[in-house]
Amino acid sequence: MNTPLTRPSATLSRRERDLRVRPSHPSPSARRCRSAADEGLGIFVFVLAAFFAAPISAQSIASTANGIVIAHDNVIELQGGWSVAGVKNPGRIIVGNSRVAVLDPIANELRVVDLESGRAQHFATGETPIDGLFIGRDFFIIERDARTLERCGADGTTASIDTAADPAFIREANGLIYVYARVAGMLHEIDPRTMKITRETRVAPFATDMELDDGNAYLVDARTAKMHVVDLATLKAQEDIEVGVVPVDMAFVKGPTPISARTLAVADPSAKRVWVVEGVQSLTQAVTRGFLRGLLGAGLFSRGASQFPTGVDRVFIRGSRWIAYDSASGTLYSFTKTKSTPIAKDVGPNAFALTAGGVVWWDNAVRRLQKLPD
Amino acid sequence: MKRAFVLAMFVTTSAFAQSTRVASDFEIAQMEKQLAQSHDFNSQLSGHLNLGDVRTARNEPSLATVEYRRALSVATEERLAARRASDISRYAYATAYAAVASAKLGRSSETFALSDEALRYDSESAKTWNLCANAMTALRLPPKAAGAARNAVALATAETAKSPTLENELDLAIYRYALAIAIIDTKENDEAEGLLSTIVTTLHGPKFDPLRKEIARGESFQIYSTAGSRGDAYNSLLNRSQLLLASLYEESDNIAAARATYKQVLDARSDDPTALAALARLSASSNDRDRYFIEAFDANPFSIDLIREFQSAPRKGSPDESTTGSRVRKALIEMQRGEHRAARTTLDALVREFPNNDVVQYLAAMNDAALGDVERARSRTIHLSQLRAEVNRRIRDAEEPAPAFLSGKRTPPTAREMRTLIAMFTQNRLTPEQRATLDQFTLTSVAKFDAPTPGAPGTTVFEGGTIDGVPFAFSEPTAFQGTLVAPLKLTYRILGATQRNGTDALLLEPLKVEAAR
Repeated sequence: MNTPLTRPSATLSRRERDLRVRPSHPSPSARRCRSAADEGLGIFVFVLAAFFAAPISAQSIASTANGIVIAHDNVIELQGGWSVAGVKNPGRIIVGNSRVAVLDPIANELRVVDLESGRAQHFATGETPIDGLFIGRDFFIIERDARTLERCGADGTTASIDTAADPAFIREANGLIYVYARVAGMLHEIDPRTMKITRETRVAPFATDMELDDGNAYLVDARTAKMHVVDLATLKAQEDIEVGVVPVDMAFVKGPTPISARTLAVADPSAKRVWVVEGVQSLTQAVTRGFLRGLLGAGLFSRGASQFPTGVDRVFIRGSRWIAYDSASGTLYSFTKTKSTPIAKDVGPNAFALTAGGVVWWDNAVRRLQKLPD
Repeated sequence: MKRAFVLAMFVTTSAFAQSTRVASDFEIAQMEKQLAQSHDFNSQLSGHLNLGDVRTARNEPSLATVEYRRALSVATEERLAARRASDISRYAYATAYAAVASAKLGRSSETFALSDEALRYDSESAKTWNLCANAMTALRLPPKAAGAARNAVALATAETAKSPTLENELDLAIYRYALAIAIIDTKENDEAEGLLSTIVTTLHGPKFDPLRKEIARGESFQIYSTAGSRGDAYNSLLNRSQLLLASLYEESDNIAAARATYKQVLDARSDDPTALAALARLSASSNDRDRYFIEAFDANPFSIDLIREFQSAPRKGSPDESTTGSRVRKALIEMQRGEHRAARTTLDALVREFPNNDVVQYLAAMNDAALGDVERARSRTIHLSQLRAEVNRRIRDAEEPAPAFLSGKRTPPTAREMRTLIAMFTQNRLTPEQRATLDQFTLTSVAKFDAPTPGAPGTTVFEGGTIDGVPFAFSEPTAFQGTLVAPLKLTYRILGATQRNGTDALLLEPLKVEAAR
């Protein structure tokens, strides 16, 4: 009797039409951007490096200063090191300087493990822990269905505060925590010591990603094909950055240089591209950098638009290694400014990581950890 | 009138020309027709999901699993096709439905990942949050379902305030229903009752007059979990909301309101199995109860709740075999009377007709065990773990050797023998010969009586106690001459089994109490 009801609709809502396929060529705004990946090459470059095998159904992987940490079937292991009791449904692994946290968003559990000793702490969390971060030895976690931010202290104590509806992203800048409540369209600034909201502001709702640099919060808005920028000093909205067709995820490519502002890589599954765009800069900075580029005879970006064979919707950057991921097919790509190369298929959404030496991922077919070195 | 339409459709639908007239047969026929004729994504998806849900309600888990797998496959193909076509909206929609299908298969990690993926792309859509809530409900994770449903309700409330169309009102009511289900599971009944009352009032309101007329014109009455049309959505939502509201009234002992609401359900659909079963349970008169039981079994003969309700008291009558419901009732009465061989004949015929129905297999297995045929009981295919566990317990009990005193040996019963005897009574496993032996047999044991109750001077009144740790009770408080002090020896006859202080106990006829030496 208590089966919920659904109503499949033949007619799409306004928002749904907005997201329907658009022309595959870049929009005028997108033309200002530069695609960072070349036409899909379809060449699989597997460099197999089997570390260890385990009977695993679902895995999460993270790269830490002490090596690769893998979580699966109630076990958390450091590659070649300790192995401790884990969680049943490992979700994200969040890495700190000396500890890692493994979330179980289904069972509402958290294991925090000391990387050196393997000593683990267990916490029962609020409903649906989905993301977190370390500040010092304390772990801060957002609980989506409880609508809370919780602090799990290294001493085992906990404290929590309420957030607006659907806390979806948590990031840190300048020693403060920023929580984006997706449905409410609210950005909270929280002091991690007092666990109090120090400031908050209304922002665009329904963003698909949020990243911070020292000065700004970038909210990726797939509906409007824009990145909304919030100045963290004033919590005021800056000018939006138009990008791509359906931008979904972003990563910082590099910091500002004398001739260019901070650059951002933005995954766009509809256009099957990763766009590289400039972050915000003041008018003075823009004029100065334009002058320098003119002086040096350098363009903003090199020519050439390219695309991936499938639509990528996650992008990760570490040093010179850029990878993109297609959640629909589980395909992992390595890409540069000029080409993309698929490196693995059927990879789980948490089952890969960028390390100092390359890319690692869990290969379900052979049940081994694989590595593509730099 | 609606019932007559159901029967008319059965007559014209060759696939259901058999003797069954189970309420959900019509929905099954409609969905199978839809799957055969319409090959678009919505039709295929809703067809398989609805078939799975109907099969689940009929306790046919293997058939339900097949349908849910097909639904998942349809949704997976759609999401990949949408992604290839760069249609991100279509991708999110298909992904949300893939999560629902995966949840119905019990795959929690996959469901969570798919729900998260759909929300990532489409967190603006109340529909996506509702599908996420549905998936979490299917996984039996009510706090997560409540969290998602609250977002769906908030988004749809804002949308309806801006644009109060009938479509938006209907969608909002659907999301409120999802929230009500979730919070009932988290014991927030007052809020749930408020939500359900709002839904029912809204659906009965003047705004829905045109839709009600449309439904009346089309004589539409089907109940689906995944409703393809506005009419089906309206009917299903009103039916489910009233049933849930009535169950809340029942839980809070507001029996009159519960009865009235269940009857309102029957006004729209006279063969609703849940409402009929509830009215059988709540009927004050035995005539009404018998009538509702007959109709409830005809509507869904495979409801385990209905069967347990029916078995909870001695039932009379000799049902004919005109419907599947009457054949199930016949088997239950035969089992209750200890006529296990006759019950086997009735049940074997049902098993042949419904080989994939776990409840039929379960009843047959329980009957096999009562006959001592544990091998056959073991061989029955039962997928539902709760029913399988019950059968296994019954098999273990059946494999216990009968107490020695049942074969005439005049030895005092051990505690284990007395517990076995209680199980044999409750499971109706005593043979006529064993009953005859018990009737003639008197036993004497050292008994530990419960504290005596007040009685006439010079007497001691006992109601029950324990023998070797096994509880016993007299059929009524019994006064014994003298002031009796433990240890005491009780001479008694065993009449049957009963409940004392919430546990199974032997029902004894006391013959003599004396001091134990």
